Amino acid sequence: MTEKKSGQISDRFGGRRNLVFFSGLLALVAVILLDIYLEAQILEPMGYFYIFFALVATCYALYPLYVNRRLTRYYWERTRRHRLSVLGLAFIIFLIAVALIGPLLTPDPTKVNFDKKNTPPVGFTIQQSVFDTKTDQLVSRETPGTWQHPLGTDEKGRDMLAMLVSGARVSLQVGLLATLMAIFIGALMGVMSAYLGGWWDNALMRFTDVMMTFPFFLLLVFIIFIFGPSLAFIILAIGLTGWTGTARLVRSETLSLRTREFVMASKSLGASGARIIFRHLMPNVISSIIVIATLSIPGIILAEAALSFIGLGDPTVTSWGVVLNAGQRSLDTAWWVAVEPGIMLFLTVLAFNFLGDGIRDAFDPRSQQ
Amino acid sequence: MNHNLLEVKNLKTYFFTRNGVVQAVDGVNLALRKGENLCLVGESGCGKTATALSILRLIDSPPGKILGGEILFHDEDLLRCPEERLRQIRGREIAMIFQDPQSSLNPVFTVGDQIAEPLKLHLKLNSKEALERARELMEQVGIPQADERMKDYPHQFSGGMKQRVMIAAALSCDPEILIADEPTTALDTTIKAQILDIFHDLKQARNMSILFITHDMGTVAGIADRIVVMYGGKIAEVGTTFDIFDQPAHPYTQGLLTCLPNISAQQQRLTPIPGTIPSLIDPPSGCIFHPRCPKRMPICDQEDPPEVFISDEHRVVCQLYKQPVTSPGKTGDTHSAQ
Repeated sequence: MTEKKSGQISDRFGGRRNLVFFSGLLALVAVILLDIYLEAQILEPMGYFYIFFALVATCYALYPLYVNRRLTRYYWERTRRHRLSVLGLAFIIFLIAVALIGPLLTPDPTKVNFDKKNTPPVGFTIQQSVFDTKTDQLVSRETPGTWQHPLGTDEKGRDMLAMLVSGARVSLQVGLLATLMAIFIGALMGVMSAYLGGWWDNALMRFTDVMMTFPFFLLLVFIIFIFGPSLAFIILAIGLTGWTGTARLVRSETLSLRTREFVMASKSLGASGARIIFRHLMPNVISSIIVIATLSIPGIILAEAALSFIGLGDPTVTSWGVVLNAGQRSLDTAWWVAVEPGIMLFLTVLAFNFLGDGIRDAFDPRSQQ
Repeated sequence: MNHNLLEVKNLKTYFFTRNGVVQAVDGVNLALRKGENLCLVGESGCGKTATALSILRLIDSPPGKILGGEILFHDEDLLRCPEERLRQIRGREIAMIFQDPQSSLNPVFTVGDQIAEPLKLHLKLNSKEALERARELMEQVGIPQADERMKDYPHQFSGGMKQRVMIAAALSCDPEILIADEPTTALDTTIKAQILDIFHDLKQARNMSILFITHDMGTVAGIADRIVVMYGGKIAEVGTTFDIFDQPAHPYTQGLLTCLPNISAQQQRLTPIPGTIPSLIDPPSGCIFHPRCPKRMPICDQEDPPEVFISDEHRVVCQLYKQPVTSPGKTGDTHSAQ
């Protein structure tokens, strides 16, 4: 009885979901325009990205999962069978929690304190030469790790834990937002190309080829040269170039779906082209889209780290790549500065890959065991 | 009541393939009357489905193209009306059911949603009303426990049940015409009988016009009011069910009927029609059936066969009946094939 009732309520809202999404989007655009007009900086650029991401996630991921609990439970059961993917998911949830509330608990990652420079992590002790102000001489002194800086400090005495927490936030931002953008463009291109066919298919796919062969790093460097190294532009650049693989995959999936009779059937019942694309074809390829999204997040996180590492990142944010870059210069005196962000990157990428594998197995009906 | 709801006049649908032009439908004339069940019969590849798809302009283009003719529905030419208007007609006034129930339903939506979709689209019902109506429709087409089953996905249904769902979706907006493209071909014999019963009831209860496409003469005998026999993209013979089964005029129709097992006759073997269907890329000259025809005459490969009226309701396209018969000119079927 209760199930029936909740089914009815959810259905009533199911139809309004798009309305909620688009009115939210409209409100967001209005605020952005107001912001530009007043030059008021109501929110920093990243704030808008966050709101957009939250809107999309609520309307098209969390809400359907909540409504369709039976299916959610089924997928969860299947994902759970993959032990490593559950581990990956746990790590990602931990990382998101750290990124959200961590910065409130840790000191300012940019605060410099030369007295505390090169403190090793807790449990390690190193010998380092320190300039003794009393004798005006360099003396070799034993520096133990302290609980004040559990993961140590870098050569400028900045707290490593604070920097890693800040880096987690940056990496997730870049990974999730750029992926969302890339997946959206890719899916739209792929489905349209396959459904419209003929001339359109050719045009869109040749454009995809051009984008694919275009050296991605060169484009990034170019954009950063023009607009300045801001995280928002880095996300935009990665998002606007990273959709080609998705487009091809979605196109090939749609091509085989298109010949299925249900497309003809819904057409014969009066559905328009747009309706067939968005309501009938898109939901059918959504499982592959989710898999490819999860598997492309690590690549994008690494791309941002690489950019920061070579010094093209946003200088105002402390990302793992920036810390890694600082660490490689002092590898002989303070190994942990490079090793710690390296481990974090390694674990994050691994976690997303495991989760992606698990989801792929869950969605693939052929992996029925 | 010779009111023609739908008239197909001189329809030509060709497919432009790599191997040549397939003349799938070549000058077909037919008329569907209010409340009748018209059966379109013929072998595979004779243009039955292409004719049906052409009516709703669902031919995939490319490679298909409707080259000429008229399709009049309430005096409106469906071949010349704008796409927008056609979308309003599809599902609302003319609905269609397809052959393979396995793939005609979208696998990612519940069947309730899929039956409700045309209701939301055409009648602008809200979700709750549409789902309530969908439940009623599911009961009408004989799906037990419709309450529960409308929340299920297509893969949880059997083939026969899926076909019922398709029928429910097609009926949802109470269309005037239902085009059923071999709706029973993919089903078991017992299920087939049940589905045919649904069609029979529909016609009785709603006075709906049904264009039923099949290759199975046995099915036809049970449900048809009138029959159109097609061969090689052209019409061979049109008549009432009685005319066709009792006095088949065209040698092809006669051949089809001798292929049917007959309980009363002491016959051991069925007689197949010799040969295979001709290529529609390069059809035989004259009468398209002449290479397989047991009553072939010298003139058959020279001249296109004339359309001859045997009675008001019974016409045949064949040289055998060439005689000065004046056409009654009352029905829409009188349009000449040439």
